[in-house]
Amino acid sequence: MDKRTSYFEDITLLKDRPVKGWSLLGLLLFGLIPFVLAEYQVFIANLVLVNIIIILGLNVLVGNTGQISLGHGGFVAIGAYMTVILDEGWLPFLPSLILAGFVAAIFGFILGIPSLRLEGPYLAVATLGFGLAVTIVIGRLSFFGGHMGIMPPQLEVWGMKLTTNSHLYYLTLGIALVLGVFARLLIKSRIGRAFSAIRDSDIAAASLGVNVVRYKTMSFAFSAFYAGIGGGIWAYVLGFISPGNFTPVLSILLLSMVVVGGLGTITGSVLGATVITLLNLQGEKIQEVPLIGPFFEWVSVHYMSISGLPNINFVFMGLTVILIILFEPLGLFGIWMRIKIYFKTWPF
Amino acid sequence: MKQPMLNIKNIETYYDRILALKGISLSIENGSVTAVLGNNGAGKTTILQTVIGLLDDQPEKGSIFFQGRDITGKETVDIVKMGIGYVPEGREVFQELSVLENLMAGGYMHNSASAKETIEKVYRYFPVLKERQKQMAGTLSGGEQQMLAISRALMNRPQLLFLDEPSLGLSPLLVDQLFDIIHQIAKDGLTVLLVEQNANKALAIADYGYILENGRFVASGTVEQLKRDEDVQEFYLGIKAEESVRATQRYKRKRRWN
Amino acid sequence: MIGQLIMTGIVAGSIYALVALAMSLTYKSSEVANFAQGEMAMFSTYVAFVMLATYQLPFWVAFGGSLLFAFLLGLFLHLAIIRRAKDPNVLNLLIITLGFQVFLYGLAGWKWGSEQRVLKIPVSQTETVEFAGLIISQLNLATILVAILLMISVYILLRFTKLGLAIKATQQNETAAKINGIPTRRIVAITFGISSVIGAVAGILMAPITTLDPNMMIEPLLKGFAAAVLGGFNSLAGVVCGAFILGIVESLFGFYISTEFKSIVAFLIIVIVLYFKPSGLFGTHYTRKV
Repeated sequence: MDKRTSYFEDITLLKDRPVKGWSLLGLLLFGLIPFVLAEYQVFIANLVLVNIIIILGLNVLVGNTGQISLGHGGFVAIGAYMTVILDEGWLPFLPSLILAGFVAAIFGFILGIPSLRLEGPYLAVATLGFGLAVTIVIGRLSFFGGHMGIMPPQLEVWGMKLTTNSHLYYLTLGIALVLGVFARLLIKSRIGRAFSAIRDSDIAAASLGVNVVRYKTMSFAFSAFYAGIGGGIWAYVLGFISPGNFTPVLSILLLSMVVVGGLGTITGSVLGATVITLLNLQGEKIQEVPLIGPFFEWVSVHYMSISGLPNINFVFMGLTVILIILFEPLGLFGIWMRIKIYFKTWPF
Repeated sequence: MKQPMLNIKNIETYYDRILALKGISLSIENGSVTAVLGNNGAGKTTILQTVIGLLDDQPEKGSIFFQGRDITGKETVDIVKMGIGYVPEGREVFQELSVLENLMAGGYMHNSASAKETIEKVYRYFPVLKERQKQMAGTLSGGEQQMLAISRALMNRPQLLFLDEPSLGLSPLLVDQLFDIIHQIAKDGLTVLLVEQNANKALAIADYGYILENGRFVASGTVEQLKRDEDVQEFYLGIKAEESVRATQRYKRKRRWN
Repeated sequence: MIGQLIMTGIVAGSIYALVALAMSLTYKSSEVANFAQGEMAMFSTYVAFVMLATYQLPFWVAFGGSLLFAFLLGLFLHLAIIRRAKDPNVLNLLIITLGFQVFLYGLAGWKWGSEQRVLKIPVSQTETVEFAGLIISQLNLATILVAILLMISVYILLRFTKLGLAIKATQQNETAAKINGIPTRRIVAITFGISSVIGAVAGILMAPITTLDPNMMIEPLLKGFAAAVLGGFNSLAGVVCGAFILGIVESLFGFYISTEFKSIVAFLIIVIVLYFKPSGLFGTHYTRKV
């Protein structure tokens, strides 16, 4: 928006004083959340943060590198189960989490290999198959608790027992910040540019010396790592995980968050994850919303079925996704940009 | 004065933000062969695409009249229905359909009985197509595909035919044969607008010509007039006017028409 | 025993084939892999159910009504939604169809709840017929026959009718089709309509076998999609072959190796096949021009 005068300016994280100021303020506000919101709402905030982490990674893969993944739920599952199993007796929490992330990353790398040859619907099917396979395998092996699922042990970090949602919140916020900054740095780095080159034209990129094989698999691994970390934390936020958490619906949800938020941008990831997560959760309990809730109840009784009302969640989600893509392909980030531009060029 | 069959008035066409046609005016008389010459990127194909309605929301400015009716900005399907045929650059035949199916597709707007009649006519111009009628279009040679593309456009029995670089990618011998047939088709009554890079062949069969450079017409007139123009001779016909002093060209002869 | 298994596989394959055919038809027309196919079929099946159960209409009327609804739904998807996309790249179109699928899923769940319903059809599920030494239920036999009949109809449509020619021409080269006077927008919309009808038939065939609930088409959709990829999206005959192969292999795998992991066998095969033939078994590989 403001003219950049040097390349360094383009890639630095905090550009100038106003940006630094806003960032600090934002940090402060986020830090205060557990004090202002009720316990249950902090729980929701945790869910949002978990999704933000996952989407930060997925967006790099889909938005920056231009690949499709309909099976990212699989990586989330891997991260979740791995973390819990390792934490149960082998390693403390943080190392478990990180190791689980790396395990997910390895699987991401493996999934990246077919991506070298496939694109479009073919790649979609391959990733879909992967996601489904993970769910099925986890569900059938009793080592993973089978259909019943497993419960993570008491969360303990550096000797402190984290028992409440608020404790978890700060931990998750910290991790999210670190990962967010890292993702941002990555996008603006040489590697990030290689990703973009692949997205725009992988043949041209290859002819310019970009090692497509290396970067494509790297991108998959990177996004899988983030998904794994997110999954690991998710297990502790929920307090319980089972295969039913990781169906293809999850993968579709994640992909929607990326697209609705805005491809290829950090802000987009945050916005998309937040909005869709909240929409999803609230939709399930639509009756509690003032005004709108009773209206839909009334419609249900007269035209639809009242028992099916929670499904309205999906109606909203589907509609939102379609409308965003039709009218604002840049997603929420695009809308945010428009607002910024409008105010910047006000009063014209 | 009789109304020209096609009258293009001052059209401007944009490709995204690039102004490709900067005020083009052109008129075509019934029964004539008009050639539009120019190098790559001059905008020749853009003119045809604009007229036939393939570019959305174009032309930005100006108007196009066909047989007295305003066709500016209309849908391709409607324009083609009025009697304009288009043979695109690069042939664009339906690769996975047979020769016969390609022709039937060309005759889509007619019922199959009259289409079959037209097919017979077309086979008279291009007998090789009849031989290969069951063959898949993608397996034909370049020249045969060109003939197929032209025949397919003829299936609609147009009054005006747009030919976009028919000589592209063909051997000189084939180009000669092809242009003979095109000349014959024109003599049989079809009005032709021919866009070509091969100026010699084009001017050989045309009545009128226009020279396009960078989106503007820089010369126009009857073919005799154009052939006599020294600039046209040097830059488009390859006839050098004079040797320079030391038998090497020190500087290129300047164009006089800007 | 193996004959019986193959027969089961063919029945399943018939349904996958219809789904795969439907997806391939729209993919060839508009580069859109229509993920909403499954839910569209499911919704149309519900329409049939409503006509049968609530309005007590005779079966064939309900069947026809459902197909009509499916056709209109396909038109709607294309004209009202896909045509409006500002930036129609692969990912966006994919997400749009996913969004539509989720929307329909929610709508169906909201309207009819998640209880399972029974779709009454005039063919018995329990009475059996003997065929080539194998025992097959009337329903399964009907499924195979209807599916084959539909596939043949589509073949005839594409090969011998003017509409079929227009569809093929539009699929291969939209610009060239336009300049020959083919109304491409209408043709693609009709293609979506036809594809939706095929999907609806698949749904109606499936409902008596499993049950009618909003989830019923999810697995067939995935399998049908996988079959289409296996056979190669570009070739209609290929996707049908892929579907039957998938059905049979799945059935055999389920019995001889493990019923539990039967579902992922589909995807395993696909990943392996795609590794060696990235365009599917019968797909033609178009080299990309840069």
